[in-house]
Amino acid sequence: MNPAALIPTPDAIPVPWGWFYVLLMLTFLLHILVMNAMLGGGIIALISLFRKDQQSTLLSKEIGYKWPYTIAFAVNLGVAPLLFVQVLYGHFIYSSTVLMAVWWFSIFGLLILAYYSAYIYDFKFDNLGNLRVFLVGFSVLILLYIGFLFSNNMTLMLQPEKWQAYFDNTEGTLILLSDSSLLPRYLHFVVGAVAVAGLFLALIGHFNFIKSSVDRETLISKGMKYFTYASAIQILIGFWFLMALPKKIMMVFMGASTYGTALLFIGIILGFLVLYVGYKKMVMVSSALTLVALIDMIFMRDLVRIAYLEPYFNLSELVVEPQYSSLNFFLITFVLGLALVAYMLKLALGCRKEVTK
Amino acid sequence: MNYPVWDLTTFGGGFLIAFVAVIHVLVSHFAVGGGLFLVLLEIKAYRDNNDGLLNYVKKHSKFFLLLTMVFGGLTGVGIWWTIALLNPAATSSLIHTFVFGWAAEWVFFLTEIIALFIYFYTFGKMERKQHLIIGWLYFFSAWMSLFLINGIIGYMLTPGAWIENHNFWSGFFNPTFWPSLVFRTGLSLTLCGVFGFVTAAFLKEEKLRQNIMRTCALWVAAPFTLMVAGGWWYFIAIPEPAKTIILEKSPEIANYLQLLTWAMPILFIASMVMIIRLPNSFQRVFCFVIVGIALIYFGAFEFIREGGRRPFIIYDHMYSNQVYVDDVADIQKSGFLAASKWTQHKTVTDDNLLEAGRDLFKFQCSACHSVGGLLNDIEPLITKYDNPFGMDAKLNGLGKLNHYMPNFMGTRDERWALASYIVFELNGIDKQTLANLPVEAKELPVEIPPFDKEKDEYVLLAWNNLGMHCISDSDPFWILLPPANDIYAQLVKRGDSPEIITEGVEISYQVEDGFEYPEKHVRFWEFADKLLGANLAPGVGVSGLKVSGTMGLDEDHRAFTAPFIPVVPYPEDGSFNPYPIFTITAKDKETGEVLMTTKTVAPTSTEMGCKNCHGGGWRIAGVAGFTDKTSLDVLEAHDKNSGTNLVERATNGEPMLCQSCHADPILGTKGNPELLSFPAAIHGWHANFLTDREGMETCVACHPSRPDGPTQCFRSHHSEFMDCTNCHGTMEDHSLSLLKKEHEAGKKGAARLMENLKARAVDSVADINPRTPWHNEPDCLTCHEEFEMGSSMDAFNTWTEGADDLFRNRHDQMEAMMCAACHSSQHAVYPATLNKFGANRDSIQPMQYQGNDRPIGNDCTVCHTVQPDFEGHHPNSLRL
Repeated sequence: MNPAALIPTPDAIPVPWGWFYVLLMLTFLLHILVMNAMLGGGIIALISLFRKDQQSTLLSKEIGYKWPYTIAFAVNLGVAPLLFVQVLYGHFIYSSTVLMAVWWFSIFGLLILAYYSAYIYDFKFDNLGNLRVFLVGFSVLILLYIGFLFSNNMTLMLQPEKWQAYFDNTEGTLILLSDSSLLPRYLHFVVGAVAVAGLFLALIGHFNFIKSSVDRETLISKGMKYFTYASAIQILIGFWFLMALPKKIMMVFMGASTYGTALLFIGIILGFLVLYVGYKKMVMVSSALTLVALIDMIFMRDLVRIAYLEPYFNLSELVVEPQYSSLNFFLITFVLGLALVAYMLKLALGCRKEVTK
Repeated sequence: MNYPVWDLTTFGGGFLIAFVAVIHVLVSHFAVGGGLFLVLLEIKAYRDNNDGLLNYVKKHSKFFLLLTMVFGGLTGVGIWWTIALLNPAATSSLIHTFVFGWAAEWVFFLTEIIALFIYFYTFGKMERKQHLIIGWLYFFSAWMSLFLINGIIGYMLTPGAWIENHNFWSGFFNPTFWPSLVFRTGLSLTLCGVFGFVTAAFLKEEKLRQNIMRTCALWVAAPFTLMVAGGWWYFIAIPEPAKTIILEKSPEIANYLQLLTWAMPILFIASMVMIIRLPNSFQRVFCFVIVGIALIYFGAFEFIREGGRRPFIIYDHMYSNQVYVDDVADIQKSGFLAASKWTQHKTVTDDNLLEAGRDLFKFQCSACHSVGGLLNDIEPLITKYDNPFGMDAKLNGLGKLNHYMPNFMGTRDERWALASYIVFELNGIDKQTLANLPVEAKELPVEIPPFDKEKDEYVLLAWNNLGMHCISDSDPFWILLPPANDIYAQLVKRGDSPEIITEGVEISYQVEDGFEYPEKHVRFWEFADKLLGANLAPGVGVSGLKVSGTMGLDEDHRAFTAPFIPVVPYPEDGSFNPYPIFTITAKDKETGEVLMTTKTVAPTSTEMGCKNCHGGGWRIAGVAGFTDKTSLDVLEAHDKNSGTNLVERATNGEPMLCQSCHADPILGTKGNPELLSFPAAIHGWHANFLTDREGMETCVACHPSRPDGPTQCFRSHHSEFMDCTNCHGTMEDHSLSLLKKEHEAGKKGAARLMENLKARAVDSVADINPRTPWHNEPDCLTCHEEFEMGSSMDAFNTWTEGADDLFRNRHDQMEAMMCAACHSSQHAVYPATLNKFGANRDSIQPMQYQGNDRPIGNDCTVCHTVQPDFEGHHPNSLRL
């Protein structure tokens, strides 16, 4: 059977695809930042709990304070890119999602448990004793599981040739384990998350947003250490991921496309730069470079998607039935929302100063 | 059909989404109103300088944060998750149509989270005015989320002008947008009080607790009016036919409607109980009971709203099974499987029948029907179908007369495949078990009475007047025909100029051995007073006759008749014989001398195939008769579809004659003048389930004429080259001819039954000639022009002028012999050698008088002692 025959007919979009593309890239970047802080933060908190020194415990406590926020915002900021990816690639992602329905359905229920566990950890930290490890471990395991499912789905949606497995399993229990790029792809996210979360901790220290009594310098230095080591591993995994891609797709970054090759080149340079500034504990420079590196990687990720789907679909094929007024409505809402957020943060930060006075 | 379908079986039928949605909507509405609750109580605490209240508000805000943001927020995402898995096509449609609505909602979700975090974490640390501003901003954001989602959810039930213009705003501000917004706002405020009880119940200080309990009760009571008013406005705004489906038609909604009407006042009363100073231990339990009542109440509402949308997921745009309304016409032509991307099979073959059926079930039915699950379980709905024919008919009729299910989408072969899958796989019927066994013909002995052409002076001709005759022995529940057949006889005195004798003779009839006691075989006489309003002694028929007796003279017809002889097809040996033989004897009234004796059959079959679709199987010998189950199911279907209480009546021992409401000329009942005549109603209704069949497949599903059946009532030579439809038309045409007459008479039920019927023998319904049942019937002379050999085989649509012109009532051109006297009864006109119970069983008189099976008069000298040389009876009677 021709795999293309399985691909559903996409629905029309209200404005040209470029709008959704920009929104997808932008909101995905935001999601990845917060998601990294959440997942990586949880991993670091777990590791720190196994170290018995006081600063490590305080570090886990500090993460505990921030954890519920990161979960809330990782979810919220995940909604937007998932919305926009459904607009552009809905016919692929809905299909792959149904194939792994049981796993996918389990996500939000488990996430609720992870979330509550994080809140217990936050609110009851001092009274928990040894239970801390279990609560953090429980949440981290769930988050890792969810991340794996996301990697799985994002890989499966790109490969209609694998969808025929549906005809042997219609119960939604398919899971992609054999794909050679899956594991490096997944690890690339997980290890990257630890790096960014390390940086996140260093930034908390740098801007002194500390709520626990963890030592500020320790926080920065431990954070930068996680950042640097994880980044080093990340570079290796990046190469593994690249090699694990099907040759045609790999070559997009190795000569077949100037744009792709440039992105990879920039990525490698940034990777090594980040290692250097990380080692030097230059928090702000590391942050700036990491942000650029993340943007670079997001574009590379998008190129991978385009290359995978190239035999089947191109975004320009989407039919546009123009309804600009709804876009305008959203843009106005978006600006209004940002203004509200800015206003509320201003009030909140002002209040924080008063309290610390 | 565009997307794969998650095979859920037990958890199918919308269970998952119902599960996630019901708990989410309760919390998410609380998340909206709760914002106002917090702010207003905080203001009150400041104004009254009430630290206790302020502490309560802070404590409540933590509960609020943990419940609404974590559970509410994630179950909200969960709904999106779930619908994308259960109905990706609809999800995609909603996402693409309203992407910027969703995106805007996401913005408010973000501001909602930020506001709530700040509100909770800065409680008591922020300047009061600023803190209140944050609270107000939270409420604004949450309410805006409601505002936006309300538009999209409302669109699914009432897309309004969007269907035509596909404009974002038309869909968003749809006909139920504002009423639904008012209802949901009122509800969200009511829920603040409901959840307020929970946090208040755990306050330690009694006075504060009781004060807050009262405040919460007020929060339930005050917006309750807004909610009820909004709900009523909402209901009024729902257009037809959704409103009718909610109120009357949907089998699933009725329970929820009842639940809603009970839960609403109970919620109010239970909340008011909290005003009373009650033991704290009671309050701590009862507050959760109130939450439970609210959950039931709101859950019922959501079920009704969702159910009212049937059979659509987006009204008039997409069916629940992910098929776009616009695609249906193509699917009907090219087939569902071929049009579906994810079905395993693309066509139906003999080899893949059941697998193709499984595909069809999955992609067309499983969106709403679970298999053995909690919601819309398919299993109890199909248990009565023990054969694919009945199931196929059910599928054939889907969505035509009741609109809570869509039409079956696909070809005939696909429908058959689905029916076979449902019956053999889901219903577990053994494929080898045939619903209707083929019955072998047998040769029961018939003794032909003697006739001596040289000596005998008389010829006695007898026949029955109802050719394809059924009776329904469903007596304890209903009947459509009591045990009855009419026997006619004409006595001819032979001679040069034969004479019809009507005076000075007595004609008696006597049923054959074994059929003498019909009352022992059917329960008609137990219920005759209820069924017919007549007190009949056991064994006595409607006209007062028994199975043996004397015939009366019908002067108009110059014939002797015995109307409504209560004969049944059950001989004493427990078998089934629809052709009991009656011996007819003519005697001189004065001397008692037997002038002539003959025999005739009086068909009386209970092979009425209701059970093919209504289930229950055959009662007698595996071939005929009504079981209680069949009879009851017929009434259940009638009650469900027409709002009657026939099951209740029958259970109370008051079965009814169908024709007591539905007029019928054959029984002479007037019925209810507003209702369709019985033949129009029964054919018109069932025609919707039996369209596009070839030949007499449809006819024999109900009438006793199945070629391999036990009766095979169409037994004349005509049956060798014609079937029922040649004269009566196909089921659609036949029904339309009846319905059209009713429609012209202003009967309002006709249009509904005609809506989905297409004329087949002629180009359009306009070309079908309306007719009165039993009066305007096919005319033999349409084919047999001038009594010649048939010139065509198409007698449909040319009707006899009236009852007098019917074959069974007509005479020859001398107004002497009745047509049937020489030709036998309709459906068994001579030669009628195809009787399953013996080749001569229908030809006793030709055999007796002529020694052959041709019509009487084949040899003129049967009656005419001198060969006539002119055609007195009708042209071509001498075959010159």
